[in-house]
Amino acid sequence: MKYCGLFLICMFALSANAQTTYPAATIPKDLLPYASAVVRNMEVVTEVKDLSNTINHVKEVVTVLNKNGDSNADIVVWYNKSNRIKYIKGVVYDEFGKPVGKFFERNFSDYSAASDASLFEDSRVRHYKPSVVNYPYTVEYEYEVLSKQSLNFADWSPNESTGTAVEHSSYQFICKPDFNIRYKEMNYTGKVNSTPVTGLKSYLWEANHIKALRSEPYSPDPEQYQTVVKVAPEKFSYEGYTGSFTNWNELGKWVYDKLLTGRTALQPQTTAYMHSLTDTIADPKMKAKAIYEYMQRKSRYISVQIGIGGYQPFMASEVDRVSYGDCKGLVNYTQALLKAVNIPSYYCVVQAGNLKKSLLPDFASMAQGNHIILCLPFKSDTTWLECTSKDIPFGFLGDFTDDRRVLACTADGGKLLHTPKYTTALSKQIRKANVTLKEDGQLDGSMTTTFEGWQYENRPNIPGDNTDEIKNAKKRYAINNLEIETLELKPVKTINPVNNEQMKFGARDYASLSDGRYFFMANLANRYTSVPREVRNRTTNVYINRGYTDVDEVVYLVPVGYKIENIPLRVHIDKPFGRYTASVSMNDKNQIIYKRKLEVIDGTYPADSYAELVNFYQQVADADDYKIALVKAN
Amino acid sequence: MKKLLLLFSAVLLSQLLYAQDFPYDSYNLSDLEMKSYEKDKTAHAVVLKEFGKTWISSGDGLPLYHEYHVKIKIFDSKAFDEGNITIPIHKSDNNDFEQVRDVVGVTYYTDEQGNVQRSYLDPKTVVTENRNKYWDLVKFAMPNLRNGCVIEYKYTLQSPYSLTFRDWDFQGTIPKIYSEYEAHIPGVFNFKASLRGFYKLDKNVSEIEHECFSAGGTKCDCSKITYAMKDVPAFVKEDYMTAPKNFLSAINFELNDYINPYNGQKTVKTQTWADIDYNMKHHEEFGVQMRKTSVFKDKLPAITGGATDNLEKAKAIYHYIQSNLKHNRFIGIYSDNGLRKTLDTHSGSTADINLALVTALKAAGIDAEAVLLSTRDHGFISKLYPAIGDFNYVVAKANIGDKSYMLDATDALMPFGLLPEECINDQGRVMSLDKPSYWIDMVAAQKRTRTHIMNLTLQTNGKLTGKLIYYSNGYEALEKRRSIKKFNSIDEYVENLDEKMAKVKISKYDIKNVDSLENSLIESYDVEIDVYNNMDAGRLAFNPYMLHRMTDNPFKLEDRTYPVDMGTATDTRIVLTVTLPEQYTVETAPENKATGLPNQGGRFITSYETNPDGFTFSHIIQLNKPIYSSDEYPYLKEFYNTIIKAEKADIIFKKKS
Repeated sequence: MKYCGLFLICMFALSANAQTTYPAATIPKDLLPYASAVVRNMEVVTEVKDLSNTINHVKEVVTVLNKNGDSNADIVVWYNKSNRIKYIKGVVYDEFGKPVGKFFERNFSDYSAASDASLFEDSRVRHYKPSVVNYPYTVEYEYEVLSKQSLNFADWSPNESTGTAVEHSSYQFICKPDFNIRYKEMNYTGKVNSTPVTGLKSYLWEANHIKALRSEPYSPDPEQYQTVVKVAPEKFSYEGYTGSFTNWNELGKWVYDKLLTGRTALQPQTTAYMHSLTDTIADPKMKAKAIYEYMQRKSRYISVQIGIGGYQPFMASEVDRVSYGDCKGLVNYTQALLKAVNIPSYYCVVQAGNLKKSLLPDFASMAQGNHIILCLPFKSDTTWLECTSKDIPFGFLGDFTDDRRVLACTADGGKLLHTPKYTTALSKQIRKANVTLKEDGQLDGSMTTTFEGWQYENRPNIPGDNTDEIKNAKKRYAINNLEIETLELKPVKTINPVNNEQMKFGARDYASLSDGRYFFMANLANRYTSVPREVRNRTTNVYINRGYTDVDEVVYLVPVGYKIENIPLRVHIDKPFGRYTASVSMNDKNQIIYKRKLEVIDGTYPADSYAELVNFYQQVADADDYKIALVKAN
Repeated sequence: MKKLLLLFSAVLLSQLLYAQDFPYDSYNLSDLEMKSYEKDKTAHAVVLKEFGKTWISSGDGLPLYHEYHVKIKIFDSKAFDEGNITIPIHKSDNNDFEQVRDVVGVTYYTDEQGNVQRSYLDPKTVVTENRNKYWDLVKFAMPNLRNGCVIEYKYTLQSPYSLTFRDWDFQGTIPKIYSEYEAHIPGVFNFKASLRGFYKLDKNVSEIEHECFSAGGTKCDCSKITYAMKDVPAFVKEDYMTAPKNFLSAINFELNDYINPYNGQKTVKTQTWADIDYNMKHHEEFGVQMRKTSVFKDKLPAITGGATDNLEKAKAIYHYIQSNLKHNRFIGIYSDNGLRKTLDTHSGSTADINLALVTALKAAGIDAEAVLLSTRDHGFISKLYPAIGDFNYVVAKANIGDKSYMLDATDALMPFGLLPEECINDQGRVMSLDKPSYWIDMVAAQKRTRTHIMNLTLQTNGKLTGKLIYYSNGYEALEKRRSIKKFNSIDEYVENLDEKMAKVKISKYDIKNVDSLENSLIESYDVEIDVYNNMDAGRLAFNPYMLHRMTDNPFKLEDRTYPVDMGTATDTRIVLTVTLPEQYTVETAPENKATGLPNQGGRFITSYETNPDGFTFSHIIQLNKPIYSSDEYPYLKEFYNTIIKAEKADIIFKKKS
């Protein structure tokens, strides 16, 4: 017996030694450029045991080459009540692959993953950061998270972060023969291996030898160029709810039936009040506006990630009682208020954020979308409402949810709709200034600017106190010694809102006097300075997320008897992604007229046009930096 | 008239004297009707009344109770965050933790019909979030906030940490009309209270409460002290500002001594520096760690190599600790892991690492001490009486020959003798194992210094070619090294630098002393700069500040309330030599400028010299102080204005005819 035991131990020791070690020197040389860490091997296995039991097994070996790669060895595991960590463990190796330390779950710190702004969220993280002083080093770890659901599976994206190269990475999805999945491969060049494993369905995706990405300005959504695999179930269970879907229509139907139905009931007095607010209004759209503005006056947004995994809205009656809610709650509440006066609306799932991101038309999954907005399908037009802002105009979405495909969850099932786009032509900032340049270099005058389209949001919706706005304006405008006498903001809140800014101001020493000449910047208030950096061997397409038009016109009245000494400014650039004109001229009334127009046109352009884009912005920056030199006319 | 005034003030006084907690769940119509706060029209909300009361109870474990009650007028939605309340509470383990109970709240608002409504906080919506090992957050949101509403809430916090008496902030981000704090302190406890900030107390009354405390057979009186302030303005943060804590009006308590009521034993927490010195020297997580020199005995020969000179040895030890111990981002004055564990795991807090440094230096026979200090965001030290609680950071001090060096080994790029900017704050207390402690000014050993030498030739194709040499020292070198290390290699750093400047092409480069921290960092670049598209024009304007131009004054506001914190003193020198093509000559040269700040606070000097084939233009910008007082603000603003004005003037080249 004793021998037997000893023998077993030897076996173990042997097998441990025989395991692959990962000396840093064995990393292929061509994976090193721009890499601060190299994923040696990553294996993610998701196994759906049954509808309410999914096991996620993650194993990674990563070599950190220098301090910048430390974050690759930061191990962060999310969990909550429905996603339990079964175990986490790992080993740290030195440069030569020799183990120097082990770590276990007890070495991990545990904290709440809720943001400070959130009233309640139950998500938490376990975090461990190995402390190694000598580079390179290697960390090998694995963990298992048991998830009581089969609705959401994490995307596989083997080369997500910049500065990380990958030797080998794989994703395996295992389930019973009766569990059907749909999957979406993006930029995946291989072919999925769907050979069954011991009577179970198995899908295996693999990626090898991926070089480290550099961050490139103006690059598109990473899903446009990186490998991503998304998996969605057909039948699923989630927090006690079951369902099935194969397309957006069915998913939208499920959301409507299971998560939304029955949550719009209101107290009779609230319904009566909605009638009293709107019964005298004939146009349904104007009725909706009255109700929306009532909701805005009454409610405020608070983030509450609660109720089946953050998917189900609070009851409308509850939001009515406390006058606060998260996006779901406020949209459902607004929908209920509108329903009280028979105005139909759609609860819409959207991926919000400055970067425009659409739901994938051919792949339905619950994991897409992070925000809810409301859609009003009037006969003649479609109106969209952002319900979490107290002051955004009725029907205006701004740059948070504009121009993207969203899912409307209706009684007839899900429908894919597209939110409005604020085009280059529509998104205008138009400025006119009339100023006088005094003998001592002082500038005095007034300036009017209007903001439209998504540029409407360049100025606050509800102007605050004048002193606040003046402080902000002083920081905003790069006019040295700017002193603001008066400043007024007048937003006009329509579906296509316009904000007006009027300012009377002065600036001491705007022109500097040297050797009998005045020097001053021709472009008073809108100088472009942030020229994007060049990128050699650019790989990704050039992507401009949102277009706009800026027009500036400044009329300077200058001291009598002076003329422009330097070459007058006359610039005209015309490129597919933008147009720019700028000019300076002087008339016989002692006036210098500065005109500038910049149009940036959104869209995707080929990678090799990037150099041209940098050059365009550099020329704009140079022209914006044009100084007028005034000299006494003889 | 006089009589009326007198009467009026008498009423006010009596109100002040007898004011205490105000009744809950009642409102004044005038509060709801208030359209803005008379004394600060910019305020989006104002605290109408605030009352706090803290006492140490006679109950089991002598828990501390803190009652908080507030009524806030909210003018508009920009202040709705006032209705989202988060109370951080401390916990040590399952036995020792703070609790918040009896949370009640009500919102008074005028509804759409013009009727005043009350909406109560549902206690079920009060949630506790387990933030991390040491903190929970109690969160709740007041219902039915509307423009013009008044919210009122109160709660009681129970704490096992009676020795940490609750501090009170009179000043907050919104103005307060009235704020009162009542402290009930049993005679067996002796706390020292200190007032911070610009404003005076409007009320400071002490009374005796007879036999209010009874525990373990000890009975004693309490002092009931009431502090109040009226019309406290909002605290408005300014740019370039040191810790708000330095200026916020608040009352802080520090335990002096207490008598255990169960056994009559007196514990003196801190009284004199001699006491503190004794405590620290014998503290398991401080002095005791510094004594463990034997841990290093075996390691030392390898670390110091053949060095015989104490300075050489100290540098070797410093670099050893710096490169072998990784900072875990925790800061503090007491060792968390202890010396042995710190060395074993190669990881530790500020105290772990810097106390290890002190110990290692001592082991090598070098006179070394620890310096306790308060970092900038932690605020200034209160010097009214000795208090260990004011410190939050510890560094090492090595005394070699007649010089001393302040050392912080937590940053792998920090040169020997330099401290992080965060540590350059007020004074530090030097703690040694064998001498009494003493104060030392925390001043930076070096400035942020840069010298740029640029030798360029204007080519007939409109490009400038030549060499740029940048010398960086002190904090400038530290920052440069940090940005270089953000890249995987120097090649990648230069590539990025080149890419950031679209008009500049770097053809060759050399960067010296990236890893040799005590030497100047020297970068030299062979460059080609696009300046003119063509040279057809008769006149060419050239700005000699082209690579370093400032166009906008960082100081824009009229006045300044708080000192301006520039981080460190800076010294910038730029020397530009331009060689012109034969057919060009300088037509207009810039005027030489010289301006300064009062009290040798700084200077700006430009100088232009003609050379046979071109010119040399140099300028110096010096800011000699890390912190400028608010009185110096107008000068500082004008100083920048002068620089910006000077930088607008071009040099004009003219084609020879």
